[in-house]
Amino acid sequence: MRRLVLTALLALVAGCTQGSVDAPKPVERDGQLEPVNNPHAQEPVPLPDPEAQGGHVGRAPRRITVAQLKESIRTVVGRDWSELESRAQSLGRADFALIASENTEPNLVFAKFLDDGAREVCMLQAAAELNQADPQLRVLSRSIPGKLDDLRKLTDAQVRTLMVEQSTRFWGAPLSGDELTRYVNLFTQAAVRAETLKKRDQALAVVCIAMMTDSRFITY
Amino acid sequence: MKKTPPDELRPARRTFLKAAAGFMGSTLLGGVPFRAFAQATNLAPPDRCFVFVYFAGGWDQLLAFDPRDPDEFTPDRVTETRILPGYSLLSTDTRFQTRPLIPAEKSGVGRSNIAFGPAVGRLADHYDLMTVVRGINMTTLGHEVGYRYFLTGKQPNGSAARGSSTATEIVGQMKPTVPIASIAYNIESYNDRYGGYANALRVSGLNDLVLTLSPSTRQLDSDIEKQLIDFNGQPISCEEAAYGARGVGTTYENSRGQMGAVMANKLSDAFKFQTATEAGGLLDFYGLRNQAFPFNSAAGRAATVATALKKGISQCVSINLTGGLDTHFGTQLTHASNLRVGFDALALLVDDLRRTSHPGGGNFMDHTTIMVFSEFARTPLINSQGGRDHHLCSSCMLMGAGVKHNYVFGRSGDIGMAPGTFDLRTGAADPNGTNIFPEHVIATVLASANLDYSITRVDPLRPILA
Repeated sequence: MRRLVLTALLALVAGCTQGSVDAPKPVERDGQLEPVNNPHAQEPVPLPDPEAQGGHVGRAPRRITVAQLKESIRTVVGRDWSELESRAQSLGRADFALIASENTEPNLVFAKFLDDGAREVCMLQAAAELNQADPQLRVLSRSIPGKLDDLRKLTDAQVRTLMVEQSTRFWGAPLSGDELTRYVNLFTQAAVRAETLKKRDQALAVVCIAMMTDSRFITY
Repeated sequence: MKKTPPDELRPARRTFLKAAAGFMGSTLLGGVPFRAFAQATNLAPPDRCFVFVYFAGGWDQLLAFDPRDPDEFTPDRVTETRILPGYSLLSTDTRFQTRPLIPAEKSGVGRSNIAFGPAVGRLADHYDLMTVVRGINMTTLGHEVGYRYFLTGKQPNGSAARGSSTATEIVGQMKPTVPIASIAYNIESYNDRYGGYANALRVSGLNDLVLTLSPSTRQLDSDIEKQLIDFNGQPISCEEAAYGARGVGTTYENSRGQMGAVMANKLSDAFKFQTATEAGGLLDFYGLRNQAFPFNSAAGRAATVATALKKGISQCVSINLTGGLDTHFGTQLTHASNLRVGFDALALLVDDLRRTSHPGGGNFMDHTTIMVFSEFARTPLINSQGGRDHHLCSSCMLMGAGVKHNYVFGRSGDIGMAPGTFDLRTGAADPNGTNIFPEHVIATVLASANLDYSITRVDPLRPILA
């Protein structure tokens, strides 16, 4: 009997010690709110059902501002659009005198001027890359090894790599599937024509223009 | 107003789109002949056009559309009337008379029912097409607020505009088949509920307009350009569709489609007045011979408006015709001179539209409604600096199609030119009536073309409607 009581006491002491270690309760004060359990602690919260949200999740895309456009062009193409500042107001930049907020509507003027800008920077950059032997110093053709030669001789894998690299550069998202094939075809056809004309740079320029005038370049 | 037979002037949407798609090749392909478009589009002016003319800075109504008799409102009575016309201060300039202007009677029209301020000048001769609305309560003395209030017909939130511009509302409802439905020339434009087709082509000058309408100066080889056009015409990917599905992408694609159609038509040529086919007449008519491109004078801007309408390029043109009116410290002569620049240019525009036949019958003024406005008026008393400050009670002028002619609606008070109260169904002064607000004028403009004016939440001024 004595042994039985001793065992029970030991078990009770052990149980009390363990409980105090696992759940140290804060001292409750008068008027203090009761703690609320974290509803997300147990499992990851699923994303909203796109079907229930008009096919979308998250906020709607926005057009980039003129300042963002300037930096984007410099970053992805490696040179500035020389006429951007002179057209900034028509592109939507506020002057904070008469217009106090930036207009980010992708209207006709924006579409036209962006097309002009894409042609300027892409054609100049593509022409400059023809004379650049070091691929690491090129922007639109970095994945093409060595000096830019006959672009028709690039393998399909090389063209695909180039398109994926460029789309990632322009949009932050790699091309894939049918759309990748479309871009590969565009480049391949342009390369054939460009070689005939002895204007290899135009094959690079046309892809650059197409990507820069795509809605993914101007939205975020 | 004479109606244009719709079949004659409006090419079928399918025809237009087919032609536009095809024509994208023409200019972008380096001038490859593409006659199909020219044959198919048949650019023609819409049956109904609108011009919104903004006088920037707040105009003096005593000099414009709400004059007072200087023999009655004398300096001796100023403590009683709180109105000082100040016309004698214009006597140093022979362009201005020192009394309100009553235009000479036109045969078949009758004498003018409208008295004009001395700054209106030659425009007053078109009294037979005008309705003047006086005693409008602008409810604000802030430039941006009054300006945006009149542009949209809705009281702004703070200084931020609410709703769409009236021009956007018009093209949004009418969906004209012209290449650029609306042009906003150095003026703000808003679109809060229509697709990209209703967006105004917003430019800050003629140079911008021509640049926008001209093909890019940098072209790829014609075959590669064609490959690019074909590529852009292919179905878009799921990812691209996801980006475009909500607003921005769709608007952008609409804008690119619009761009293709615009360049295909070589519309820029119409605005190069120095080289246009009929430029000689235009340059002489608007007095632009001694000016160089981009003709940014008020007369040059008026010529731009006329060209956009007459060539069937646009249905609505909103334009900032003159400025420099915020003359707190200026003289009466300065203000009158700046007003006169705008009114003279407007007179030229109306002259031009009156002399030009519209394909639907009559002349262009039979098919065009012009609204002239400013953000507010200037005080009827002259301040210690010789200028006038901001005043709540303003006027506006409507002209042309859809409105009554040679008519005045409303009036300002004889003491301090306060906004009056009226029975808006009849126009009669009524102490228990209501003020006239900009939304009433905007509702009237919309109603004049049988458009839905419910966005203004008021009834139009029915006595004005023709």
